[in-house]
Amino acid sequence: MTLRVVIAEDAALFRAGLVRLLEDRGHRVCAAVADGDALLDAAARWHPDVAVVDVRMPPTHTDEGLRAALRLRSEYPGTGVLVLSQYIETRYATRLLAGSAAGVGYLLKDRVADVAEFAAALARVAGGGTALDPEVVSQLVRSSGHAAGLATLTAREREVLALMAEGRSNAGIAAALVISAGAVEKHVASIFAKLGLPVSEADNRRVLAVLRYVGA
Amino acid sequence: MGSTGPATPAVNQGPGGRPGHPLAGLARQALRAPVTGRALRELAFCAIEGPLGLSVLAAVAALPALGVLAALLAGGGAGTFGGQPRGAVSAYGVVFVLLLFALLVLVPGGARRLAGVHRGLVARLLGERIAGPPPLRHGRGPARRLAATLRDGPGWRAAAYLLVKVPVAVVELYAVFLAAAGLANLLYPFWWPLFRNHPPGVRLGPVGALTPFGTLWVGTYPGTFAVFAAGVAMILASPWLARSASTADRWLIRGMLGPGKLAQRVADLEQSRALAVDDSAATLRRLERNLHDGAQVRLATLAMNLGMAKEKLGEDGEVPDPGAVRELLDAAHQGAKDALAELRSLARGIHPAALDNGLADALATLAAGSAIPVGLRVQVPVRPAQAIETIGYFCVAELLANAAKHSSATRIEIRVTERENVLVLEVSDDGTGGADPSRGSGLAGLGQRVAVVDGRLDIVSPPGGPTRITAELPLRA
Repeated sequence: MTLRVVIAEDAALFRAGLVRLLEDRGHRVCAAVADGDALLDAAARWHPDVAVVDVRMPPTHTDEGLRAALRLRSEYPGTGVLVLSQYIETRYATRLLAGSAAGVGYLLKDRVADVAEFAAALARVAGGGTALDPEVVSQLVRSSGHAAGLATLTAREREVLALMAEGRSNAGIAAALVISAGAVEKHVASIFAKLGLPVSEADNRRVLAVLRYVGA
Repeated sequence: MGSTGPATPAVNQGPGGRPGHPLAGLARQALRAPVTGRALRELAFCAIEGPLGLSVLAAVAALPALGVLAALLAGGGAGTFGGQPRGAVSAYGVVFVLLLFALLVLVPGGARRLAGVHRGLVARLLGERIAGPPPLRHGRGPARRLAATLRDGPGWRAAAYLLVKVPVAVVELYAVFLAAAGLANLLYPFWWPLFRNHPPGVRLGPVGALTPFGTLWVGTYPGTFAVFAAGVAMILASPWLARSASTADRWLIRGMLGPGKLAQRVADLEQSRALAVDDSAATLRRLERNLHDGAQVRLATLAMNLGMAKEKLGEDGEVPDPGAVRELLDAAHQGAKDALAELRSLARGIHPAALDNGLADALATLAAGSAIPVGLRVQVPVRPAQAIETIGYFCVAELLANAAKHSSATRIEIRVTERENVLVLEVSDDGTGGADPSRGSGLAGLGQRVAVVDGRLDIVSPPGGPTRITAELPLRA
């Protein structure tokens, strides 16, 4: 499936690499810009399926990418937003996920090196799914490690929870952990039971529920 | 203070004077001196400071008044004055001592307040801002407050100033007298014909004119010219006296009403500590920024290129597009080399490895990398502290970079010597000069960094050049 993508990244080298990577995969890069304002302009013009946004961009080199991503999310709910950053900031993750985890991704730039996984994450976000860096999940879990219930999870259940929060389906989790889909279902049910969450069908609601629980 | 008093007339620079032929210039200055703005401000300073200074004598006069007050109070308390002489006298003594003590308590605070007035006058009229001492710190409760007041060093110093100043105030008043009476004397020949046009035969008493040598009595019109001449002399002399007195007073105020050496030192250290903290925070921020925008981006791109190449190679078997793989690997290879170079320069910016072998080696490496030819002489028999070497190194590095950027010099000389436990780094070039720390260059920042270790930066860079910048650092921080 060909996606229409807009890229906002101020490092020219990395931006060119991203364009090439996405075009190699058959996606269409409508615009590749270097700051937040240009990103919003490009989104208004192209209405892309998904935007790939760097957090730190000119002029202040702090979080303008994130702010542009938030505006994008509120103004163009149909556009997925995949935020890339060299660091994972829990605060950024919670701001990004506030309200809804649909069509949102937050990944370390390093993840781009695993091209296939990155492409899958992009497709997931474009389709209204979620892609959270394992780092984000572990930080969120760690920062709320005191939460009751979390401590009662087994190591395997924690792994499943982390993958769940990354936005993977049960099948995806089963593949990642090399276990059967049935085993995953059992773990998920156990996690929900231990955390006291109502079982839900949609992946997004699972992620949202998990993140709500871990304090996002 | 490049001013000269009348005692050294050979120096051709009087109040508001300009250089010229020695004698003509001197005459011009002498004539112009009384009406320059500076002289008038000094005279105004004397006119205020003189009476203010003498008013402290009123406090001395207050002592007998205190005695009378004590007598009244003691008299009221111990019955009739004459009835019980012994008791009355001892009560009188007690009350007097108590009142004296109360006065004593008021002295430091009052003197502090007056000191503020004096400093304000110096700032307003003589244009010199003298920082005041730190405010009095006292604990809670009247006892602590009393103790702190009695031990208030700056307050007592201010009181001492008020006493020491009395003779200076006399001179200040005298300068004002010279100006005022001199001006009055100038007018004698003008009013004399108007008021003294009496018919012949009428004899009027002589009129007195004040001069420094006593009252001059004039009875005739030609006599007024003598008064006029005296007036001219007085007017001409007054600015010099006003300057001497106000300079002496300013010197006293600076020494006795300033913050004091220790407090000044504390203020300096507080400032340099704040600078050091800011500086190191800024350095870390710059470092993070350089890493983020440089090596990290390169490595992320490199990883992405390798990832793409791996994809194109496929799981196994035939490679569909070897050309694209080669291109991606080329880019990744180049990226790895760029990232290495960037990390290397970043590491050198943090701490040049050559500095481990001493300043001479590190500076030689630095000089070798300069685009402009550099002559280097290092003669430092004792090795300075590491922190000093590092600061010195970065000083020279920044000065070299500045010279390369702004000076259009053809040659730079670096001399590093040691003089009485001070490391002296001198960077001079034959360029266009005009280096000015106030114009936002890195020089101001350099000066601050040097000041952190009590060093100093001396900049000689006239427009047109040449430029010589000297950094002096203590051998031990």
